[in-house]
Amino acid sequence: MAKIEFRNVTKAFDKNVVIKDLNLEIEDGSFTVLVGPSGCGKTTLLRMIAGIGPQTSGQVLIDGVDVSNVPPGKRKVAMVFQNYAIYPTMTVKENIEFGLKNNKVPKEQREKLINETASKVGLTEYLNRKPSQLSGGQRQRVALARAMVKNPSVFLMDEPLSNLDAKLRVQMRVELIELHNKLKTTFVYVTHDQVEAMSMADTIVLMNEGKIQQKASPEVMYKDPDNLFAARFIGSPPMNVCNLDHKGNKFGFRPERVDITDEYVNDTAFIMEGVVVTREMLGHETIYSVRNEEGITVTVKRLDDKWRMDQKVFVSVKDIKDIYFFGKDGQRIRENDNDYAYCINQLRGVKNEEN
Amino acid sequence: MYGVSQNIKNTANIILKILVVAIFAFPFLWVISVSLQTDAEVNTFPATIIPKTPQFNNYVRAWQAGPFLTYFKNSVVIIVAIITIQMLIMIPAAYAFAMYDFKLKNILFSLVLIAFMVPTQVTFVPVYLMMGEWGLLRTLWPQILPFMTNAFGIFLLRQYFMQVPEELIEAARLDNASELKIVYKLMIPMAKPALATIILFSFVSHWNEYFWPLIMTNTTDVRPLTVGIAALKSTEGFVNWNTIMAGNMFLIAPILIVYVFCSRFIIKAFSYSGIK
Repeated sequence: MAKIEFRNVTKAFDKNVVIKDLNLEIEDGSFTVLVGPSGCGKTTLLRMIAGIGPQTSGQVLIDGVDVSNVPPGKRKVAMVFQNYAIYPTMTVKENIEFGLKNNKVPKEQREKLINETASKVGLTEYLNRKPSQLSGGQRQRVALARAMVKNPSVFLMDEPLSNLDAKLRVQMRVELIELHNKLKTTFVYVTHDQVEAMSMADTIVLMNEGKIQQKASPEVMYKDPDNLFAARFIGSPPMNVCNLDHKGNKFGFRPERVDITDEYVNDTAFIMEGVVVTREMLGHETIYSVRNEEGITVTVKRLDDKWRMDQKVFVSVKDIKDIYFFGKDGQRIRENDNDYAYCINQLRGVKNEEN
Repeated sequence: MYGVSQNIKNTANIILKILVVAIFAFPFLWVISVSLQTDAEVNTFPATIIPKTPQFNNYVRAWQAGPFLTYFKNSVVIIVAIITIQMLIMIPAAYAFAMYDFKLKNILFSLVLIAFMVPTQVTFVPVYLMMGEWGLLRTLWPQILPFMTNAFGIFLLRQYFMQVPEELIEAARLDNASELKIVYKLMIPMAKPALATIILFSFVSHWNEYFWPLIMTNTTDVRPLTVGIAALKSTEGFVNWNTIMAGNMFLIAPILIVYVFCSRFIIKAFSYSGIK
C-alpha cells in the first residue's frame, strides 16, 4: 500500500526538457492510468517512480518518504515492461525467483511463494520452461508473476498489453482489473490507448507535452473534460469540434449525441444540413460523416444503419448540455463561467447562419 | 530425371566434403604416422604412410629428451592463468564500456583498440627489459603479465553487451540485483557464444605461442611445451623427425581432447540465440 507524490518534478534529457515543474498525487490503492500520445512523458513519470530514470530536479515521494536516493531494488515497487523483459537464459521459475533470491528470502518460503503465484497466473505447468518456449501471453504472465511474487506496494506497468493480439488484450484487461481488486495495491499503468484507460482506471491522468491535462475518474473525463485536448483524446470517434466565432472560441459535441433526420427539427441546440460522405458499418453501430457546403464535417455514431451515402440529411444536437465550449486557450468554458452566455448567443448565431 | 541429377549432386557434395576433411585432417594424420615410424622409415622415399610396427618408443624418447613434465606444467599454468585473468579483467571492462557513461570513455576505448592493433614484434624489447628490471625473467610472469587483458575480447564482448535490451538490466535492478549479480547471472549467460569464441581463440593462440616464450625465457625451468619441442631438433645433433613429431603430439593432444569434450558445448554456444 502506498501513496505516490510528485513535487515540482522536472526531467530533462540533455538540454531537452520533457517535464517541467509537475505536481501529481497518486492515491493509495488506486488503479491510476497515465495516458497520452507518445512522447507526452507518461513513461518518464513511471520510470521516476521505479527509480530507473530519476528526475532532474524535484522530489518523488512514496508513502511520504522522499525516494530520490533510494535505489530501484529497495523501493518496494515492481514493474511490468512493454516487451516483458524476462531473463532469456533463466527458466520461468528462476525468473520469478530472481528477485526473491536477491532479497534473501529463505528457500522454503521462496518455493511456497513461487507455487502460489504460478497457480494464480496459470503458469504451474510451465515453471521449468525457458521463455523461448512460451507464447506471448504466457511471457506476459511470467512478467506479471515476477512482479507479483515480490508483494510490492506499487505495481508499475508500461504498456504491458500492447504486444498482445486484440482478443488476448481484452482478456488480460479483465484479469488485471480482477488482480487489482484482489491485491488492493496501488497500480500505475501507462498506455496510449484511451480505451484501455477508460476500461481499467479508477483515476485517469491525461498528459500532453509533459503537462497534466486532466486528472479525473473515467466518467468525469468523458462527461466533463477540462479542455479541448481532453475532450478530443477521450472517446472514439473523437469529439466533433467546430469554430464558434472568428476569435478562436470553439464548441464541440460527441458523435454519439448527434441525431440524424431527413427533415429540419425545431428546438435543437445545434443543427446543420449536409450530405453523408462516409459510412462505416461496424455491426452494432454505424459511424457516418456528414459534410455541409462550407466543408464542415460532423462525425455521427448511431445504432441504426438506414442512412446511405450521398443522402441529404440534417444532423442535430438536442440538448445544450451535450455541447461543450472552449476558449481561445483551449480551456473549457463551463456554465458558471462569464463567457458562457456569450457562447450560447454565438451558437444561436451559427445556427441561424446555417439556415 | 530429377532423381538422377539429384543423386549426382548428392554424390558430388559428399566427395567434396570428404576432400575438404582430408585436406584438413591429413597434416594431423601425417604427424601421428611419422611419430610412430622407425628412424629408417622416416628417411625412405617414397614416404611411408602406415608404419610397419608402430614405434611407441618414440614418445618415451621424446619425453626423456628434455624436462617435458616441467614444460607441460608450465604450459598449463600459463594458459590457465592467462584465461582466468583475462576473464576477470575483460568482463567488467566490457560491461563498463557498454553500459556506463563516464569521463574519457571514448578515449579509453580507443586506447583499447589501439593496443589491439600493435604487433608483439614492436613491444617485445621494452617488455623484456622491463621484466628483467623487475627480476621476473626466471619466473612464468613474463609469459602471463603481458596477456592479462584481451583487447579483441573486450571489443567483442562490449558489442554483445550493447545488444542486450536495457529493460532487462532495469528489470534486474528492480529485482534488487547488484551490478555484480547482473553481470554474472544475466550478462555472462547471455554472452556465452561470445565468451566461448574468446576463450577458444585465446587458448589456441597462447597454447601455440612460440615467439614470445622463446625470447622471454633463458632457462628450461620456465619454458613451455612449444619451446621445448623446438629444442628437440638440436638435442641430438641431427634432425630426428619421428621424435619431434612425437613431441608435437604432446602439444596437439590437449587441444584435441578439449575439442572432443567441448565441441558439443561450443557448437551449442554458437547456435544459441537470445529471444526478443
